[in-house]
Amino acid sequence: MNPTPANRNQRVELLVNEHYQQLTAKMDRLFIILFVVQFLAAVAAAFWISPHTWIGTTSYVHVHVIAAIFLGAAIASMPIFLAITRPAQPVTRHTIAVAQMLFSALLIHVTGGRIETHFHVFGSLAILMLYRDWRVVVSATVVVAADHFLRGVYWPESVFGVAAASHWRWLEHAGWVVFEDIFLISACVAGMREMYAFATRQVELAEANDALRRAEAVERDRAEAERVAAGERVELSRQAGMAEVATGVLHNVGNVLNSVNIAAANVAEKVRANKAPALAKAAAMIRDHAADLPSFLADDPRGKQLPAYIEQVALFMAAEQQAVLDELQLLSGNIDHIKQIIAAQQRFAKGRKSLETFDLAAAMDDAIRMNISAFDRHGVEVERAFEDCPAILADKHQVLQIVVNLLSNAKRAVAEKLDGRKLIRVVIEPVEDGGKRYASVRVIDSGVGIDPANLPKIFMHGFTTRQDGHGFGLHTAAIQARHMGGSLAAASDGPGLGAAFTLKLPLTNEEALCRPAA
Amino acid sequence: MEPPEDVIAPAPQRRRPPGSFRWSTLLLFVCWLVPIFGGVAALERYSVQPASAGNPPALWPATEPPGPNAGRPALIMFAHPRCPCTSASMEELARIMARASGMVDARVIFFCPPNPTADWTDSDLVRSAKAIPGLSVEFDPGGAKARQFGAPTSGLTLLYDRSGKLRFSGGITAARGHAGDNDGEDAVLDLIINHDPSPRRRHPVFGCALTECRDARVAQGASR
Repeated sequence: MNPTPANRNQRVELLVNEHYQQLTAKMDRLFIILFVVQFLAAVAAAFWISPHTWIGTTSYVHVHVIAAIFLGAAIASMPIFLAITRPAQPVTRHTIAVAQMLFSALLIHVTGGRIETHFHVFGSLAILMLYRDWRVVVSATVVVAADHFLRGVYWPESVFGVAAASHWRWLEHAGWVVFEDIFLISACVAGMREMYAFATRQVELAEANDALRRAEAVERDRAEAERVAAGERVELSRQAGMAEVATGVLHNVGNVLNSVNIAAANVAEKVRANKAPALAKAAAMIRDHAADLPSFLADDPRGKQLPAYIEQVALFMAAEQQAVLDELQLLSGNIDHIKQIIAAQQRFAKGRKSLETFDLAAAMDDAIRMNISAFDRHGVEVERAFEDCPAILADKHQVLQIVVNLLSNAKRAVAEKLDGRKLIRVVIEPVEDGGKRYASVRVIDSGVGIDPANLPKIFMHGFTTRQDGHGFGLHTAAIQARHMGGSLAAASDGPGLGAAFTLKLPLTNEEALCRPAA
Repeated sequence: MEPPEDVIAPAPQRRRPPGSFRWSTLLLFVCWLVPIFGGVAALERYSVQPASAGNPPALWPATEPPGPNAGRPALIMFAHPRCPCTSASMEELARIMARASGMVDARVIFFCPPNPTADWTDSDLVRSAKAIPGLSVEFDPGGAKARQFGAPTSGLTLLYDRSGKLRFSGGITAARGHAGDNDGEDAVLDLIINHDPSPRRRHPVFGCALTECRDARVAQGASR
């Protein structure tokens, strides 16, 4: 709910009241101390300045001593009582103001009317100003003015030094107090304005804080809901072994089937281009000249070329047979890979792993070979840079799935790029990260690159930049890498600048061995 | 959802609405203030209640040597060396001497017991008097001179002109123990500097009684 201006004003008013209560209570406590100190000072001054009055050689306690003790205690008692029992109340601070001015009068008396003691009046007004209540200053001023007025009427010589002072002379003395009051009252008003400004800022800050807390709470709820949903998805996927696992199977099998299709097409093409008809044609020619075969082979120009022709056809067919055998071997390998993918996915669904020690470089060669036809078709160059790396203990077919996936994506990336060299580099090197040793497989392409905005989302489930993509491949690959105790990371300098995917697999596979499948 | 902490929520208070009036508070205030006003008024009244100005001789006593120097009026202040109120009189006398230096033969006569101790002869007030230039300080054991001049109150100042006539008698402070400009001081200066020919002038005197005589007790009645 957004705060309305009226609501805000109300909060500001409440805050100012609260601050003002604290301020005035603090001032009340200050005056408790001040009154005690003033009382002691008045008694001490009376004892010091006029302890006795004399009649010849006989002394008596001076009236000032009695006044300092009893009148001083009487003046101080009420403000102290109110400051304790009713702190921060208007009546308390007005009583304090009146009492403070009465104390000025008492101190002036006990110090023999010293001019210097009159500064107590002005100092007290300045202290009272700290209440930031101009009415308190006015109360004190009224006491001073009334004192001078009454003394001017009844005992003018005590205040003005002359018995016949002007009736308006008290205004001169009060005028100096008013002169100070002008500045003190201005300071009070400015102090209250400052307090309101501070409270307004504090309310605004509190509102902003509330809004932030609300947004944070909403975000926390959303994140919690997402986390719960994600947990449910993982749980469902893991327990039922259905949606994502099936998608992974289809995706990885699809990648291999692509190679199977190409191999099958190659075999078909080679069979279609078979030289058997040429051999049949040569056989027909021999059959037609069966009666004069020797003269035909010796004299006829066609007969003279026939043996060489048959030899060429034989050689061609032998080469063709080898090519078909090669394709069939690749086909067989791919079909075996499909079998392994399905087996691996079944193991994954059951939460088990099939770890084996294998040569990473040989596995990478297999992965490149599986895609070689596609690379040839798109004119993609593949560079290998394999450093010596210890054999690793991992799920070989999961590693193959990941790398085949990366190579397939790299092939697409370079194929989409119309200009420049179409190059894929596969780099194997041992690396250290956080005190652990890894085998690093980097697939670096010179393709279309990755938009920086897409880079953080590249491994998200369902995220893809291709129209025919599903957004499962990299997601699954990253999960598989993590399950093996490794990682999969992507980097790109931006669109048109290629990309690099780094698969890291731990060289010591204790973590992978111990890690649960989930 | 966790409710946001409201930092400015007012604490629950059981206070009366601001500005509400309580008769009990007013009554308490009045009960406190009235006796205090009474006390302050009594103190004020005490400070302006004059003591006895005595009955000084209208002419300089022939038995009192030395008399005023020719061409100079004589100024005499009677003082109790331990009277706190007389400090203000001494301040005013210092001001007079500062303005009328060399124009008057001035002295302070301090009352003291017949066998005075240092408390009497070396009090703060005595030291103050001795520090005033042109002022001579004398002691009056037992108060014989005070009685001779009819001076019952500390701070009583007498001014005799060149012919030995009393021209001023009274105090030179505005109130008891209150220093500052006042009519008594102005009158003395006027007489010394301007040779004011008007009749004898008087001013209330505020101070302790110099002796335990009956007049002095009457005078002291106001000062206690």
